[in-house]
Amino acid sequence: MRKFLLYSWLSVIILSGLLLGQGCKKDASIEEKGDLMHIPYDPKPYKIIKPPHFPEVPVPPDNPMTVDGVQLGRRLFYDPILSADSTQSCSSCHMPHLSFTDGLPVSVGIDGIAGRRSSMSLLNIAYATNGLFWDGRVRTLEEQALLPVEDPIELHNTWPNVIEKLKKHPVYPELFRKAFGIRDREEITKELAAKAIAQFERILISSGTSRFDRFLQGDLDALDDEELDGKLMFFEEGARAGLPDAQCFHCHGGFTLTGNQYFNNGIDEASTLDDFKDKGRGPISGRRTDNGKFRTPTLRNIALTAPYMHDGRFQTLEDVLDHYSSHGKNSPNKDPLIDQIGFLIPGSNPPKYTGLTPYQKRAIIKFLHTLTDTAFINNPDIQNPFK
Amino acid sequence: MIRKITVFLVSIAILWGGCEGTKDSTGRTTEIDFIFRARYDDKPLVRYQRYDYDTHWVDFFRFNAYMSNLALIRSDGGVVYLSPIEWVDFTPDDARTDTAVDVAIKLRAPEGNYVGIRLGYGVPPGLNAKQPKDFPAGHPLSRENEYWIGWKGYIFNKIEGHVYLNKDTTLRAGLVYHCGSDAVFREYTFNLPIRVEPGAPAIEITFDLKKLFYIDGKWLDLRDPYNQITSNDFNDVVIATKLMNNFRSATKVTQP
Repeated sequence: MRKFLLYSWLSVIILSGLLLGQGCKKDASIEEKGDLMHIPYDPKPYKIIKPPHFPEVPVPPDNPMTVDGVQLGRRLFYDPILSADSTQSCSSCHMPHLSFTDGLPVSVGIDGIAGRRSSMSLLNIAYATNGLFWDGRVRTLEEQALLPVEDPIELHNTWPNVIEKLKKHPVYPELFRKAFGIRDREEITKELAAKAIAQFERILISSGTSRFDRFLQGDLDALDDEELDGKLMFFEEGARAGLPDAQCFHCHGGFTLTGNQYFNNGIDEASTLDDFKDKGRGPISGRRTDNGKFRTPTLRNIALTAPYMHDGRFQTLEDVLDHYSSHGKNSPNKDPLIDQIGFLIPGSNPPKYTGLTPYQKRAIIKFLHTLTDTAFINNPDIQNPFK
Repeated sequence: MIRKITVFLVSIAILWGGCEGTKDSTGRTTEIDFIFRARYDDKPLVRYQRYDYDTHWVDFFRFNAYMSNLALIRSDGGVVYLSPIEWVDFTPDDARTDTAVDVAIKLRAPEGNYVGIRLGYGVPPGLNAKQPKDFPAGHPLSRENEYWIGWKGYIFNKIEGHVYLNKDTTLRAGLVYHCGSDAVFREYTFNLPIRVEPGAPAIEITFDLKKLFYIDGKWLDLRDPYNQITSNDFNDVVIATKLMNNFRSATKVTQP
C-alpha cells in the first residue's frame, strides 16, 4: 500500500513537471516569435485630470487608462488611416475648436454623403454611461469607436482593411506594443484600437475654468447680474427673484449639464407615436413609447457647437430658446416640462405657461455663454498630434 | 507533556465550541433579497398607460427614487442597519418593455427573526449635504443627474406623467414631481415578522402610485396646477411634503 502511494505521488510529480515544461515551452515559442518583443512594455497609469467639483470619471476595469494607451488613442483619433480613402478621421466630425463637433447640421462622410444626424460633442463623454450616439445604440466608448469605421456614410472602410494597414505601418505596431503589451504585430485587433480611442476620449474632460465653474467654486463675481438671472431660471431657483422656471436643468442636469437621458423635447409634431420622421431612441429600446426621444447633449461649450438638435435644425441659441419658450410641437410623449416653461397663466385650464420674455431668453443665453471652456479646447494634450 | 497536551486540547475545544456558538447565534449573516415594485391600483405600473384617477385619467412614464437607511427592527427594539442608500429606478432607459421593472437588491443581514423594517425615503441630511464628486463612480450618489445644483442637494424621487382632465385627451396637463430638500426626507417603520435565514423569501416593498395621490381620504386635486408640479421655490415644498408624507400609506411591505 505504502509503495502504491509512493508511486502515485511520483507519477503526479512527474506528470506535473511534464505539463509545466510543455507550458513553458509553448510560451517561449510565442515569445520567440513575437516581432515586438524587443520593445519594452512598461504601462504607466494615466491620471485623468478633472475639475474638483466633477464626479469621479468612470473607467471600465477591462480598459484601464495608461499613458501609452491614451497616446495611441489620440493618434488613431486624428489619423485618416481609419477611412477607406485616407481622407477622414474621427476628428473630421469631432474637432477640438468646436468642442469636438463639426459645425454642420449633419455630418458628411468620405463619399460626400450626408448622414442623418448631427455630430455630438465629446466633451465629458466619459460620463455618458447611459448610452452613446443620439439614440443610445451602444453602451460604451469601446463599442462606439468600432462603428464609424464601417459605416458606409462615415469612414466607409472595413476593420480588416484598417488592421492590415496598422500592422504594416512603421509606427503603430510599436505603439500597440507599448499600450497593450502585444508581442507581435499580428496581435493588433480592432478591439485594441477601439480601447485606445476610448482611452483618449475619456480624457476629454472640462478644465473647470469656465466662468460658470469659477462661480460654482466660490467666485461670485464670475457671473454678471443678467447671467445670474439666467442661471436662476436654468436651475429652477428663480422664484424668490421673481423669475420663472425655464425647466432646463431637469434634462441638462448635474455638473456636466447632461443627464444623458432620453427625452422628446417637442421639436416634431406627431399625432401618434409612429409618426416621427426620425424615431430616435424607440427602435433601439424596442419601446414605441421612446419614439421621438433623443439623448440629451451636454450644454458645456454649447456656444461652440451650433447648429443644434439631432438634425442641426436650429442655427443659433436664440432659435433654441425660441423653440422652448413656445412650448414646441405636440406629440403623445412630449416631455411635460416643455409645456411648463414660464409663469403659470392664472385661470388657464388645462394650465398654460407664459414662456419666456425676450429679457429672460437673453439672460439664459448669456448664462449659456458662461459655460464656454476655452482652456479645454486649447488643451495641448487633446490636439491633433500630426500638426 | 501531558499537561501541555491537555491545555492544547482544551484550547482547541474552547475555540471549536466558540465557533459553533457563533454559528448558531444571530451573529451569522446571510444574504437577503429586497424587491422593490411599482404599481398603480395593485397592478404593475405601465409607462404611458392611462389609469382611472378620480374623474380623470393619469399616466406615468418615469418613477425612480432614493431609498436610504434600510434597517431591520429586532424584537428588543434594536435596529440593524443594512444599507445607507440605494437607487431604485422602475423606468430605466434600457428597459425592454413599458412595464415598470422590479428592482432587486441583495443585502447581508444577521440571521434571525425581526419584527419590522425601517425605510428612509430620499437622501438623509448627512448624505444630502454631499455631492456626486464625494462618491466613487457607480455609487448611487455619484449619479449626476439626480443632483440639484440649484438646491444644493439630491432629487429624492422623480414621478412624471400626465393628467387627462375629465378623461378628455385634449385636456392634458403634465405631472412632474421632483421631491427634494432635507425638509421632506422621511423615515417610516413597517411592523411585520421578517425572517432572515438562508433560502428565506425576498422582502417585497411595493409602492402604489394610486395610493400615493390619495391623501387624507381624498384624491389630490389634479385640476389645480399647483398640484401638478413641484415648486421651483426652495421655501415652498407643499406638494413635495404631501407626497413624502403619504409614501407611508403608498408602501406595502411583505415577506411571503
